[in-house]
Amino acid sequence: MIGTINPVIFCGMIQKGKCATQAFPFFILKLIIAMHNTIAKIREEFDKDYASVDSLDALEELRIKYLGRKGLISEAFNLIAELPAQEKPQFGQNLNRLKVEVEKKYENLLSRFKSSDHSSETIDLTLPGRQPFIGRKHPLVQMADEIKDIFKNLGFGIEDGPEIESDYYNFEALNIPKSHPAREMQDTLYISDEIVLRTHTSPVQIRVMERTQPPIRIIAPGRVYRRDTPDASHSPVFHQVEGLVVGEGVTFADLKGVIEAFAHQMFGKDIKVRFRPSFFPFTEPSAEYDFNCIFCRGKGCRICKNSGWIEISGAGMVHPNVFKAVGYDSEKYTGYAFGMGIDRLAMLRYGINDIRIFFENDLRFLNQF
Amino acid sequence: MKISFNWLKDYIAIEDGPYDLAKKLTESGFEVEEVIPSVQSFSGVVVGRVDSVEKHPDADKLSLCEVFDGEATNRVICGAPNVKKGQLVPFAKLGAVLPQGFKIKKAKIRDVESTGMICSKEELSLEKSSDGIWVLEESLPVGLDFYSHLAKQQDHILEIAITPNRPDCLSFIGIAREVSAITGKEVTLPSAPIKEDKSKPIDSHISIHIHDKEGCPRYAGRVILDVVLSPSPRWMQERLESVGIRPINNIVDITNYVLVEYGHPLHAFDLSEIKGAEIHVRKSDLNEVFITLDGKERHLPTDTVMICDKERAVAIGGIMGGLNSEVSEGTRNILLESAYFKPSRIAQSGRRLGLSTEASQRFERGADPNGVTAAINRAASLISSLAGGRVVSGICDVYPHPIEPARIFFRPQRVNHLLGSDLNQTTILNTLKRLQLDYKDNHIIAPTYRVDLKMEADIIEEVARLVNYSNLPSRKETTIVYELPHQKTDQMLGFLRRMLLELGLTEVLTNSMIREKEAQYFTEEKAVSILNPISDDMTTMRPSLLPGMLMTVSYNLNRHQPNLRFFEIGRIFKQDSNNPLPAQPYALCVVLTGDRSVPTWNTTKEEIDFFDIKGYLESFFRKIFLDNAQIFLYDKSLYLNAKETIAIQIDQQVVGYCGKVKDEVTGIFDLKKPVYAFHLELDDLLPKLMLSRIFEPIPRFPHVEMDFAILVDKKILASQVLKYIKNIGGNLLHNVEIFDIFEGGMNMSADQKSLALRLRFQSKERTLNDTEVNTIFKEIITKTTQEFNATLRK
Repeated sequence: MIGTINPVIFCGMIQKGKCATQAFPFFILKLIIAMHNTIAKIREEFDKDYASVDSLDALEELRIKYLGRKGLISEAFNLIAELPAQEKPQFGQNLNRLKVEVEKKYENLLSRFKSSDHSSETIDLTLPGRQPFIGRKHPLVQMADEIKDIFKNLGFGIEDGPEIESDYYNFEALNIPKSHPAREMQDTLYISDEIVLRTHTSPVQIRVMERTQPPIRIIAPGRVYRRDTPDASHSPVFHQVEGLVVGEGVTFADLKGVIEAFAHQMFGKDIKVRFRPSFFPFTEPSAEYDFNCIFCRGKGCRICKNSGWIEISGAGMVHPNVFKAVGYDSEKYTGYAFGMGIDRLAMLRYGINDIRIFFENDLRFLNQF
Repeated sequence: MKISFNWLKDYIAIEDGPYDLAKKLTESGFEVEEVIPSVQSFSGVVVGRVDSVEKHPDADKLSLCEVFDGEATNRVICGAPNVKKGQLVPFAKLGAVLPQGFKIKKAKIRDVESTGMICSKEELSLEKSSDGIWVLEESLPVGLDFYSHLAKQQDHILEIAITPNRPDCLSFIGIAREVSAITGKEVTLPSAPIKEDKSKPIDSHISIHIHDKEGCPRYAGRVILDVVLSPSPRWMQERLESVGIRPINNIVDITNYVLVEYGHPLHAFDLSEIKGAEIHVRKSDLNEVFITLDGKERHLPTDTVMICDKERAVAIGGIMGGLNSEVSEGTRNILLESAYFKPSRIAQSGRRLGLSTEASQRFERGADPNGVTAAINRAASLISSLAGGRVVSGICDVYPHPIEPARIFFRPQRVNHLLGSDLNQTTILNTLKRLQLDYKDNHIIAPTYRVDLKMEADIIEEVARLVNYSNLPSRKETTIVYELPHQKTDQMLGFLRRMLLELGLTEVLTNSMIREKEAQYFTEEKAVSILNPISDDMTTMRPSLLPGMLMTVSYNLNRHQPNLRFFEIGRIFKQDSNNPLPAQPYALCVVLTGDRSVPTWNTTKEEIDFFDIKGYLESFFRKIFLDNAQIFLYDKSLYLNAKETIAIQIDQQVVGYCGKVKDEVTGIFDLKKPVYAFHLELDDLLPKLMLSRIFEPIPRFPHVEMDFAILVDKKILASQVLKYIKNIGGNLLHNVEIFDIFEGGMNMSADQKSLALRLRFQSKERTLNDTEVNTIFKEIITKTTQEFNATLRK
């Protein structure tokens, strides 16, 4: 230990002091010895106190007792004045050594307490922390974003169109004239005879084609409306994504390829896509497309009624009458269009069996996504 | 459309089983939604004989029966009123399993043991509900396994979703033609032998005159005399029932039978009710009223095709017959109608009448004008053989302008051009031939029943669906055009959404259709309303996002979710007299209610107030770098509390409001807690955003902060003081903020408040010295105290 004075040496000094008795009167000698003892006593006491410090508060008491302005070490310094001049440097050095020693030990202990927070009160760290409010994106928006990301990767731009549409954009231009039986396929909500709540996102096809010339490669996500009484599988408000690609040499094979790529990116490489003939007035040929059931991966389960397939939506090659309505030359250009239901895909993805829950916005529901 | 698998075999040989056929039909465009076996599987049921029937000693309505099952006699309790000694019945022995999975076990009913069950048709899933047990034919051997007995007559019903473009397939023959196209087997049409009574020609019984040639291009009639009305034979009743048609009498059943067989609607009149023995087809008169055979009075829309006799209307053409001329018990002579009506006219009248029938559904989608004769002959043949009638010789057929098969320009190579396939011409033309589509002189000749075939693309689809979509190629790559024009809207809304999420708000999506009563609170104009709303709570297009969000808040509070911080981005709707469509700008709304912080053990519970919502507004503006928004006090809001509302203005244009929702408004949503909200119109806001950022060097020299406090009149707004100081502060004044405010202190009068201000001085070029800062600081204090008649606090 640095600065510790060996008591044996002390004795030696005293014996030496015998020689020195000639120089010092006895009472002075006694004082010298007492003072050297003081340093030893302080050290001894400090070591004892030091060992028993168990909290920051106790450490502070220790500091005040030894290092404070009126602490034991300061007071010992005050004694120097009473010593004979030749003894002062020796004593001062010893005392200083003690002070440095005590300070060092104090600092060590202090940093140890600070780092491990060894305060006298123990805190229950298992209690929850102070939390900020956290925000969550609506699951339908999450699903829409996922769909948009996939199509962006496939080179599609994103378009938007009005939710209240004219009869022309929602029906006429899409080859659904007034008396067309297909109008009954979709129960429509009307604002006036000529204005409707769009029943699908397909009118965006017309708006985009009117605005620009081919090539076109877009998707249009958005809200659509049907005159359906709400139940587990129907909501009068729901969301679709429309897709439209027009150019020279665009074929049904491209449509199949794009939908397959989408299925693989959305649900996994092993998901197969099946196209079946169907009918939509604005496409010819028309198709409905199914994905392998994402729960059983096509093996057949309760959800897909053991068929292994889940119906997704409709698609097809843009009908020549639709091109005619926007003034495109259907000899030169061909195109495909497809739709998909955001709500439907979200229900599949999250295993939700009642569409109405999306619009209830129950926090306990929203917090799950 | 329900198709009986066994019945379908009358028209085409089918090698596949019902499930395989269903798969093939689905893949060629006729989606079979369900295959339903007519007999569902069960076991342990045998033909039993009822040997004795006694009353249950302890229950009036129950009988105690002894049933012999071929091996043993069982004591059974039966609740059916029709059980009698000697009957043969389907008897479920102990351990039998019925179609619904119900297992027969020993049971005790009022202390009497029952070992087995006598079954009704309902219990064997053969009908929806039964009145009593099923009494079997006496010829059946006792002990016969009943399931194997029934399974011999097993049929399967294919529930097919027919797309509206294929009315020809709303029939067995239509489906048979499709099966033929898939399998290559020939269709056999039903034979219709008619022994005509040549004593008097048809013209002496009826004459037909078409006045509305556009609405009715063809009208044909046959007369059948001396029919005997009775129930139709069992096989016909069973067939009709199997496809969901209720048997009525032989005449009606035959017209229905031919309807589902050929897909061509027929109508039978009681000839004696046809006055003058004349049929006139004309348009409805103005305000004409007619009673249809269902006894309902119909107000006829204009341009309805009416079938009339010499004096009056007798049927609504193609939709429904009249009560005055329907076939009834006393009917002896019949006029059978087979006509063709223009689809759009039937569709229009049907819609206006709100009437959709088996007939109108087929006519409005398109019947076959050249199928009129086959259908009427088949019906006449059936009537003569099943209802004993004499068919008068000849058809009275008025068809002034026969409709020719369509000639459709077709280039076989266009098939591959559109499909991306590699089919050779022979395959293409052979495929079309299987559908009776002949290729001649670059044209396809399409039979008149194929109303859906109009152009080349239609023919290409025919090839594609028969080749099978699954066999068509799928391309794995394409050329992408680098620069396509596209809208920025989605990107911008996505950015705003991200910023709101980062502020810790949760996104909701609410219905855009709300109650009119609710909408009224959020707009001064009349909201956009729906002509044919689904229900009272969805009559009006939301003029603001707030009503939907308040509903959401209410929904959650009622479910004990007290702390809510929601936002929504969506369209709102307003009348717009300058444009054909209503205005439908995007809006953004934030609502808060509940506690200031997430409640935990170490936070104090404090309710939010105005400054929480304003804080969100300000933070949101900081996040989107909107630094030129100004606010002013606003006390005219319809839905926000006059004393706690600010309007937000950018470039002199109001873009939204922020404040506390009025109690009156929260009241209509049953909200008892205060709700704070802000609502911004994004179409106004988005163009103001400056999202392209340019780096501004971080100050290299230290700033100096100096504080002072003044006593001012309470009415003076903080914003006024801040704005004034910023104006006069000079270019070294970098920022000024209020860091303390209080009222009612010592040496203050009641109408005073203390504002403590912190000024920050900063130069981009150098370190400021105390003297210059002090000079500016003192000058600011002097001017400010003068301007606001304030006193400096020491």
